[in-house]
Amino acid sequence: MALAGRMMFRRGPAVDMKLMFAVVVIVTAGLVNLYSATSVYADTATRARLADIYVSQVYWMVVGGLLAILVAAIDYRHYERFAGILYAGGVFSCGLVFVLGNSTRGAVRWIQLGSFNFQPSEFMKVLLVLMMARHVHNDHKNEPRTLVDLAVPGLLITVPVVLVMAQPDLGTGLILSLTAATMLMMTRIRKRTLTAISIAAVSTAVLAWNHGMKQYQKDRITSFLDPEHDKTGIGWHALQSQTAIGNGQFLGEGFMQGTQNQFGFLPDQFSDFPFAVFAEDWGFVGCIFLLSVYCFICVYAIHVASQAKDRFGAALATGIGALIFWHAVFNIGMAIGVLPVVGVTLPLFSYGGSSVVTTLVGLGLLMNVSMRR
Amino acid sequence: MALLGQRSDVGEFRRRYRWLVLAAIGTFLVLVGRLAQLQIVQGDLHRAQARKNIIRERSLATTRGVIRDTQGRVLAANRPSYNVHMTPAEVDLTETWPTVVKLLAIEEPEKSELERKIKDIQTLPSKEEKKRGQQLLLKVDVDRDAVAYLETHARELKGIEVSPQPVRYYPYGELGAHTVGYMREVGSEDLVRLEERGYRAGDRLGAVGVERRWESYLRGVRGFKKIVRGVSRRDDVQEVESRYLEEPRRVEPIPGRDISLTLDIDVITSIEKAFHGQLAGAVVVVDVRTGRILAASSKPSFDANVVSGGSGVKAVADTFRRLNADPLKPSLDKTISAAYPPGSTYKPFSALAALADRLLDPTTEVDCHGGYEYGKRFFRCTGVHRKVHLHEAIVQSCNTYFYELGARVSIDKLASVGLDYGFGVKTGIGINPEARGRMPTRSWYTRRYKEAFRGGFTLLSAIGQGATTVTVLQLALAYAALANGGTLYQPQVVRSIETSDGTVVQDFPPRVRRLIEPDQEHLAWVKAALEGVVTEKNGTAYKERSRDVDMAGKTGTAQVSHVTPRGVDPGKVWYFNRDHAWFSGYAPSRSPEIAIVVLVEHGGGGGKNAVPIAMRVVRDWQKMKEKRLSAKDDAAVGTKAN
Repeated sequence: MALAGRMMFRRGPAVDMKLMFAVVVIVTAGLVNLYSATSVYADTATRARLADIYVSQVYWMVVGGLLAILVAAIDYRHYERFAGILYAGGVFSCGLVFVLGNSTRGAVRWIQLGSFNFQPSEFMKVLLVLMMARHVHNDHKNEPRTLVDLAVPGLLITVPVVLVMAQPDLGTGLILSLTAATMLMMTRIRKRTLTAISIAAVSTAVLAWNHGMKQYQKDRITSFLDPEHDKTGIGWHALQSQTAIGNGQFLGEGFMQGTQNQFGFLPDQFSDFPFAVFAEDWGFVGCIFLLSVYCFICVYAIHVASQAKDRFGAALATGIGALIFWHAVFNIGMAIGVLPVVGVTLPLFSYGGSSVVTTLVGLGLLMNVSMRR
Repeated sequence: MALLGQRSDVGEFRRRYRWLVLAAIGTFLVLVGRLAQLQIVQGDLHRAQARKNIIRERSLATTRGVIRDTQGRVLAANRPSYNVHMTPAEVDLTETWPTVVKLLAIEEPEKSELERKIKDIQTLPSKEEKKRGQQLLLKVDVDRDAVAYLETHARELKGIEVSPQPVRYYPYGELGAHTVGYMREVGSEDLVRLEERGYRAGDRLGAVGVERRWESYLRGVRGFKKIVRGVSRRDDVQEVESRYLEEPRRVEPIPGRDISLTLDIDVITSIEKAFHGQLAGAVVVVDVRTGRILAASSKPSFDANVVSGGSGVKAVADTFRRLNADPLKPSLDKTISAAYPPGSTYKPFSALAALADRLLDPTTEVDCHGGYEYGKRFFRCTGVHRKVHLHEAIVQSCNTYFYELGARVSIDKLASVGLDYGFGVKTGIGINPEARGRMPTRSWYTRRYKEAFRGGFTLLSAIGQGATTVTVLQLALAYAALANGGTLYQPQVVRSIETSDGTVVQDFPPRVRRLIEPDQEHLAWVKAALEGVVTEKNGTAYKERSRDVDMAGKTGTAQVSHVTPRGVDPGKVWYFNRDHAWFSGYAPSRSPEIAIVVLVEHGGGGGKNAVPIAMRVVRDWQKMKEKRLSAKDDAAVGTKAN
């Protein structure tokens, strides 16, 4: 890929090798870990199919990688013009889910496209980042922003978040809000306004708890606060995940040797809890390594932002960094029991085409900004 | 054309990058901190939990010790029984369930209850939760045909499992049931307390009698075998097991200790026969030279097999409901746990008290006109005995003589002699809750009645009435002490403890509780009178004597306080108002070996109702002794001939 990059931009910008290297490390570790996570199904009669999902994950990585190269090749400043249309398309497909969607476990998230299940809410993450970057780019002023100034970006965030939450997909809604909010935090906002927003956020949360949230969503939070008395099994999942991670101890049980994973004690180990599998196999040492790489990408995104030529690039890089950051923090946080289980993927570790492609496209955008600073 | 407007001002962001970086790194450090806590600080804890998840300790059942009588005959053993369990998540409600219901004859309320439970578990959302669904007990002690069917069709009947569970078996059923005891299931309330001693839900433990008292010896220690979950499905069993299983991987169970009792089931059987025709009462036979209990029978009895749980929880509960509702109190051990007024069988001890204080001697003469005037009250006698001395007074059971004795002796002296012979205190036999009985004293009366002590109380105590109560066991041990010349023995039911291969682990030699040291002359006068009760023409036991039985003793007819127990049919009140019939004695009369006490509750007169039982039991005992002696001689001759 690196070679291809150089060939493509012979006289243009050079590929950022540090970022490329970090991404390759995560992709590799993610695939290896997925292999370990699904190997438990190899011997079973009914779920043997699952043992092979790492192969389709490879396909998705290839697709995502190619898309990322494509995205990185075109100067990011072009995207500013199309951000509005892309955003509108994303919101539209999020709405379309309710009409065409496939339902799993009581939530409508997917749209069938040919033989693929396509999850608009995943792509919405990058589209929102683009849209927010565009807004931040055009909204420059010297005095701090007031509540009125924040009305437009607030609306831009609220529409997709409401649609996603209604699916219902708490995790994605949360990621969308936090990522966009992080991007807004880059601009100057009046202290009073911030206070007002915080109060509004808290009261909204209370209202949502009392009226808007589904019982299973509430259960996730109550079981996080009191896992021992959980009746739904979610708290049990969280406990098993922590046991798996603790069982890794310092050096880990070894690749494909984690018993919590191999004996089927980890629920959703290839979507929600791949980190537990990794931590059990590779121990504290492996975890430090993995966290360092994620941390590097996030910090590096800010570094790229700080060197960007324009507000759009800076906001875009920050947004992608925030996206990776919140994903990683929430996923690992729920695996280690410091955050409730809200179903957030671990970038490039969790199984899922939409998620992998979105993340890689996002990283392509980051690469794009990095190459043109 | 410029890609973006020229007004791009990135300066606004500048100051915030540093904070974002710090926030990001800080957050990751929090995660690292938590990881360090999970993986390093609590690492061992979580590893232990992870191992616990995959390792199953399959317990290896132990066998409960066997209880034998003094001749080595089995009184309590184990028999195999089979329980059927089901794993609700795996049961096929439409295909196999009807077959199972029919085979096990599961009845209606239970059937729909089980079906409801199966449906509840099968409709749980996730697979993990279904897996966690525990096994339910379907039926206990299934007959052999059903077991055979279930085992041959194990493949089709998914989720149905047969598990062997040994059940306690009492070959003699009702005989000696109170003493040997029975088992009960560990209840959920006492599981909390018993868990640390290794009991689990569904275990059984001794509920009463020897089974209870010697539980820790009889029980044995469960073994276990560690296995890795689902390992049988893997092809690397050896490797997996050696990796995850810590030594020891298998610990064999230790069988419980066997216990040999002092009881002789032949004597108990003969009591059972002799008691035929009487409703309720108790008999104790002790060896006067050792204090060992040869027989203890409490009537009515119950079948220890039924209450020990082999037939299921419901059957046990029903049986107990019936036993507890019965006014004849079959579950009460009347040899130990209940105290009765001894009536005239207590007179020898009153006599010894008066003799010890030199308040009378054999020449003391009392004229019996059918009663005794004391203060304003008239105390009735059983008849008009005319001029009686100590000997005739005991032989004919003259109350008037003993009223006179009661007027002379102090109540505290009566009590202190009674205490010497073991009345009023627990004997310390160790099985079943023991009644203490009562030897009333002056201070007891003042405390009890809050008024001045009256001399009439002593008169009643002297004839074993009033507030005086004794247990059948106490009376038997006291008569044994009379018979052996004044040694009060510790009663024993357990003779020795053995390992399952018969090696004696612990032996229990006779233990003397007290050397009473009565004046041997006084004792001789009393014993002569006790002989006379049976052998003299006007003795109270004379009419019911058997020519071939050599026995001395004393009859008793104890008045019953006319308070009818609750729940008694008014039509049967006459029965509960009848006197208790007693006989206490020892045999042979000149060189005593056993002491026997017979109590027939509400039996009426002691001479008529209690004596025949004692006669028959002693006659059977004599025959048995001769038979055993000649068998021994034959054996001895046999070895010589060889």
